Amino acid sequence: MAHDSPFHRPAATRPISRRDFLWQSGGGLGGLALAAMLGHDRALAADVSAPASRPVHHPAKAKRVVQFFMAGAASHIDLFDYKPELIKRHGQPSDFGEPVEAFQNGLGPWLRPIWDFQPYGQSGKMLSEVVAPLGGVVDDLAFVHNMVGKSGVHSAATLLQSTGFQLPGFPGAGCWVSYGLGSLNENLPTFVVLPDHRGFASNGVKNWDAAFLPSQHSGTIIFPGTEAPVADLFPHASGKFITPRGEAAAHRLMADLNRQHSAAREGDQRLDARIRSYELAARMQLAAPEALNLKAEPAHVLKLYGLDGGPQTWPKEINADEEAFHFSQKCLAARRLLERGVRFVQIWSGNDNSFPRRNWDSHENVQRDHGPLALGMARGAAAFIKDLKQRGLLEDTLILWTTEFGRMPSSQGGKGRDHNPFVFTNWLCGGGIKGGTTHGESDLWGYKPLDRTNPTTVYDIHATILHQLGLDHTRLTFRHNGIDRRLTDVHGHVIKNILA
Amino acid sequence: MTNRPPLVSAPASGGLQTCAARPPFVSWAAKKLAAGLVGTALTSALAATAPNFVSDVRPIFAKHCVECHGPEKQKSGYRLDVKAIALTGGEGSAPNIVPGQGATSPLVKYIKREVEDMKMPPKGDPLSPAEIATIAAWIDAGAVWPDSASAAVADPLDWWSLKPIASVTPPASAANPIDAFIRAKLATNGLTPSPSADARTLIRRLYFDLTGLPPTPEEIAGFVADQAPDAYARLVEKLLASPRYGERWARHWLDVVHYGDTHGYDKDKLRPNAWPYRDYVVRAFNSDKPYARFVQEQIAGDVLFPDSADGIEALGFISAGPWDFIGHAEVPESKTDGKIARHLDRDDMVANTIGTFSSLTVHCAQCHNHKFDPIPAEDYYNLQAVFAALDRTDREYYRDDARHARFQALRRVQRETAAALAALEAPLRAQAGEAYAEITRRLELPPQTDPAEPGKPSPSRGYHSALSSTPDVTKWVQVDLGESIEINRATLVPAHDTFNGIGAGFGFPVRFKVEASDDPEFQTGVKLLWQRYDQTFMADFPNPGRDAFTTGGGTGDGIIGRYVRVTVTKLAPRKDDYMFALAELRVTDRAGKNVAAGRPVSALDTIESGERWRKSNLTDGIAPAALSAEEKAELERARDALLLGSADEPTKSRRAALLAESSRIAAELKSLPKPDLVYAGGIHTGSGTFKGTGAAGGHPRPIHLLARGQVTTPGKLVGPGTLSALQFAPARFDLPADAGEGQRRAALAHWLTDPKNPLTWRSIVNRVWQYHFGRGLVDTPNDFGRNGGQPSHPELLDWLAADFRDSGGSFKSLHRRIVMSATYRQAVTANPAAEKIDSGNTLLWRQNRRKLEAEALRDAVLAVSGKLDLTMGGPGWQDFVIERPEHSPHFKYELANPEDPKTWRRSIYRFVVRSQTQPWMTSMDCADPSMRVDKRNESLSPLQALAMLNNGFIVSQAQHLAARVRAERPDDLPAQIARAHALALGRAPEPAALAQLVAFAEAEGLPALGRLILNLNEFTFVD
Repeated sequence: MAHDSPFHRPAATRPISRRDFLWQSGGGLGGLALAAMLGHDRALAADVSAPASRPVHHPAKAKRVVQFFMAGAASHIDLFDYKPELIKRHGQPSDFGEPVEAFQNGLGPWLRPIWDFQPYGQSGKMLSEVVAPLGGVVDDLAFVHNMVGKSGVHSAATLLQSTGFQLPGFPGAGCWVSYGLGSLNENLPTFVVLPDHRGFASNGVKNWDAAFLPSQHSGTIIFPGTEAPVADLFPHASGKFITPRGEAAAHRLMADLNRQHSAAREGDQRLDARIRSYELAARMQLAAPEALNLKAEPAHVLKLYGLDGGPQTWPKEINADEEAFHFSQKCLAARRLLERGVRFVQIWSGNDNSFPRRNWDSHENVQRDHGPLALGMARGAAAFIKDLKQRGLLEDTLILWTTEFGRMPSSQGGKGRDHNPFVFTNWLCGGGIKGGTTHGESDLWGYKPLDRTNPTTVYDIHATILHQLGLDHTRLTFRHNGIDRRLTDVHGHVIKNILA
Repeated sequence: MTNRPPLVSAPASGGLQTCAARPPFVSWAAKKLAAGLVGTALTSALAATAPNFVSDVRPIFAKHCVECHGPEKQKSGYRLDVKAIALTGGEGSAPNIVPGQGATSPLVKYIKREVEDMKMPPKGDPLSPAEIATIAAWIDAGAVWPDSASAAVADPLDWWSLKPIASVTPPASAANPIDAFIRAKLATNGLTPSPSADARTLIRRLYFDLTGLPPTPEEIAGFVADQAPDAYARLVEKLLASPRYGERWARHWLDVVHYGDTHGYDKDKLRPNAWPYRDYVVRAFNSDKPYARFVQEQIAGDVLFPDSADGIEALGFISAGPWDFIGHAEVPESKTDGKIARHLDRDDMVANTIGTFSSLTVHCAQCHNHKFDPIPAEDYYNLQAVFAALDRTDREYYRDDARHARFQALRRVQRETAAALAALEAPLRAQAGEAYAEITRRLELPPQTDPAEPGKPSPSRGYHSALSSTPDVTKWVQVDLGESIEINRATLVPAHDTFNGIGAGFGFPVRFKVEASDDPEFQTGVKLLWQRYDQTFMADFPNPGRDAFTTGGGTGDGIIGRYVRVTVTKLAPRKDDYMFALAELRVTDRAGKNVAAGRPVSALDTIESGERWRKSNLTDGIAPAALSAEEKAELERARDALLLGSADEPTKSRRAALLAESSRIAAELKSLPKPDLVYAGGIHTGSGTFKGTGAAGGHPRPIHLLARGQVTTPGKLVGPGTLSALQFAPARFDLPADAGEGQRRAALAHWLTDPKNPLTWRSIVNRVWQYHFGRGLVDTPNDFGRNGGQPSHPELLDWLAADFRDSGGSFKSLHRRIVMSATYRQAVTANPAAEKIDSGNTLLWRQNRRKLEAEALRDAVLAVSGKLDLTMGGPGWQDFVIERPEHSPHFKYELANPEDPKTWRRSIYRFVVRSQTQPWMTSMDCADPSMRVDKRNESLSPLQALAMLNNGFIVSQAQHLAARVRAERPDDLPAQIARAHALALGRAPEPAALAQLVAFAEAEGLPALGRLILNLNEFTFVD
């Protein structure tokens, strides 16, 4: 039954059996359901004995992934990519030595990094003071300073980093991981998205929905710390007639009636799978609130994340404390979810492009927007990495920090920076990544890669992540509209330099 | 020659499929070496003993090249194992091998790694000098390649879907042709059909299939009791005649064409006028519009059926998919990002057209020739040329056909009259000379006067920013009011200048905002007086001419500040450059006094050009005066006199007649009610960055072949055409040079609907079959190419296609054919023996059990609860609250009230958002409007279970179901429960089950029982 592996899609003409159907459409339902429904068939059960951890292509270094996504495009040169030449040339007319097509023509004089840089850790990596908290974990980070994008348009650039394609209609990276590896704990979703507390980034759910993959691989949206963090986990407010005792009775009776129904319709495993999905739903109702109960954390952990202050009120203007609170809250929720078997967590910083700015799209004033966003992100991310490390979770949890594109070394309107899709920075951490390393450099200005013929692309990043998860990015495919689709399209090379 | 020993004898690693009988391998170079020839002497000494292809050359290809250019992969469409392709292929550089020219053949340059980006092989060891020499020598000697040493390739045109539709006679085994075909195939596989389903199952199946709604218990009872032989046939007719039929089947069509009511991408803006296309599709199904006409209208309805509303509304097909607002409205066509956006926009139109009507993946040919199907990249760009004049835009029309025809006629005459008038006046204007031009200028540019000295012309024009080479630059100018005051409103008075013939509204900003603050740097406490089209993106502000623009405000909204700043994010065009200018900035307080008068002005930059243009002019009270009506009339009289001075009487009377005609038409057009709008493919006439082709006459944009799809490296110019693999008609549209763009689309529409086009007819009958059986005869309805499937019943497919085509393309006849068959009416039986032979039921030895799609499920819940509102058509109902509509709308589904009766209409009329798809529908595997969906996913997950249990929609409808049965069966709980059961599941509960349900309802109440019933498997699955 080798063709039952999701990595080897059978020809579309092959008759689709019920069991194939379950693999293709119900895989995320997880092993228990499948095992239960196939239990009577020993020959089949044998090769799905542990479907929760599906067969991988090679031994895995990482089991789970966390993606930090900075919406609006975070400035590499103000945070991570130290460019002393800009300090030297600050205020001089910018000259790129070639014609430049900038999104809003923000080609004013060179603008020095808004914050000072200093070295951190054994590696002596230069970091901006606005991300100073990350200095404490810098030796665990591997930087990629020669990332290139394809477009300076927010929507297309966000999709490219989140799904590997510039057009809507492709699954997010987390969907592919869910599809490829399946669940570690079927009581929780496999792929969780923690959006910015203000709302979604460009393209909304298109950044993480399953597109042509079966819908259970979509990212499940969770807003930690809110009244209803998971949609439809519990009955709508108008359901006053629903009581806990009644729920248990309803589940029993439904299962009973459903079993009578399916008994008269032998051989259709979807009917049993649906019965099972209600059992799992009931278990998720227990598991999700437990996982998201941040109050259960001991005081020292809350302190590590800066969440020991309790609920607070904030000024109206964007500010670092509020950003840190929300970002840290998401990080802590992420850690609890990962511990409980969630495969992929995507954490967003920044809402869509609007005024006043509530994301990283600092055309007008880098200091005003990047300051609070970066400091808030750095506090949360640093606490998160330390926390994973002290629990031994960092070893097999791979973290990616990414954004839409970079920002220009020239100024826009004096204090802002325009889009720079020509070069930007990613960093990775944990999950078999070699810390304290840098792969790829940008040029003198942070305008383009130093070596323009060998840039790093999102395909390479995705290939590397899949590789660490034990997956060959060229073999994780799904046929859609006549094409065997991959997360990495027809590109991508594993970045061996940053592997431990 | 130090880098490698020449005695290379490694066997081919890739292996050639045809070399089972490969001769013992001896390198030609080695033989030469053995003969004492070395190094550079090689090439000159070759003629006498040319390398042998089989023994010398082919092993080198096999070792270095064939892995990527052979049976497994054909990078750039090139193969070195197939003679014909090797000697003629090579995309841009073809042919790669030029017999007799070893040194200059592109192949040799590539392997010598002389061409940047084409160093072959790109990975792995380069060819050794000896190997290169061997190949060069072989080419020098004529590149002799025996036919017997070429791998066989399938003729790319030898593929089922590209062949003409066969004329098939059904087997004689059954009266119904479908049954005859199906049973013949079952018999050869040792299978027998299942018996017919019972009446109760049949009516439920047929209702959902044809109308997407469940039958009522009364309808079921009536049908079960009806023993007449034609009972089923009558039911079929009744349902096909129901308006619910069109609603059901239109939804299938909208899946395929990826219809949506928003743009998608970033800034997922609303399309308030998309719905007329949706209604058109519903109507087309209900009226059984012939398929050929249906296709033609959607591609070229405005050209082929100009006087019908359908001809315009149908063009919503072209615009159905997503649209990149930023890529069009924020980035001009001249920038790379703008070019990419427009390329991708046409790509969507082409992919939608060929995917929908022809079931081929033509979009795979945009970077290179199609890898699997005979679709050269040129075909793809020919198809782009068909749509090259179009954008997605609102089109004016009238839903009433008669009025629409009149409207079209008036606009035609209006265009003709204007052209005639222009032709007549051109020579007169030239003769009237400078005096005429002067009056025209005065009409457009009245004098400016200093209020202090009335009558005396003033040189002061206003404030003028520095020039910029591009419009998308942020600039500002501000006034210091001296103290922080409560501001009522601000007025921006446009400047005048004759520069570049601009005149009124000179330099008026295209996008801007007006803000107040106490901070001169505008860092803190910034309050908006007026924000119009700021750089986060909306349409441009139309130039106001000489009319001043005043902000809103003045309602005591507490805007207080000392400084008022106008920030411009998009500059006005001047001449090859951009800037902004204002004559005057007035700021009024609550008393209406202009508190900005004479106050100091600062700006990001300014040209400070003498008295005419300087910052201080912005508050000097000097602005252009408007002409009075009398002055204007007087000037116009004088102008006309000059114009007609040299004209003869016939010319004068002809001009008068044309003017009269022009005003008569204008008056009649004005008397028409406001036109209706539909969002459709059309010629767009816009301002700013999103100009469209309208202003330039609606001519198609030039379309170039793009190697690797790169807009930065355009290749040759191409014309309109279509797929060349189908040989029933020429693939290049031979149109006269002056043919309008519409002729291109008309040609494509005719090509698509040609009776000889094998794809069109097979594609549509296969789609219809799929929606009836859950699986198409071809299981990949959008891909009839080599990557797709092959028909399980090719003869049946062809018979259905021909029958559909030859009987007028009637959908209803096709449905009738299918649902009347015994094959369709089979029960969903379990049959372990048959499962062993055909577990996927490809051969249809039974019917398939169907899981209700999101829309059918939702509509069924409403039908059962008694709340379904069957109002048809019109703008989509919205089950979300929109926040921040001015930027990126946020669609807040969780804020919608499930008790809002507006949301109880059928799901086909739902307002379909792309960026934030409806969460409940999405969890039920609803089609994603960003994707062309030929077949819905079918999933089961705990999240789906939670949505079905807990979403506000279900929780609220469960209570309505309870209320309904309480009202219909008062004071009798068992009867109420039986009623709810029958409504939802189409049958009475078994006594034991009823007892369980009664016990549950007694403990938990009827609403909890209603919710339970709606969550049963039996409600979601249809046998």
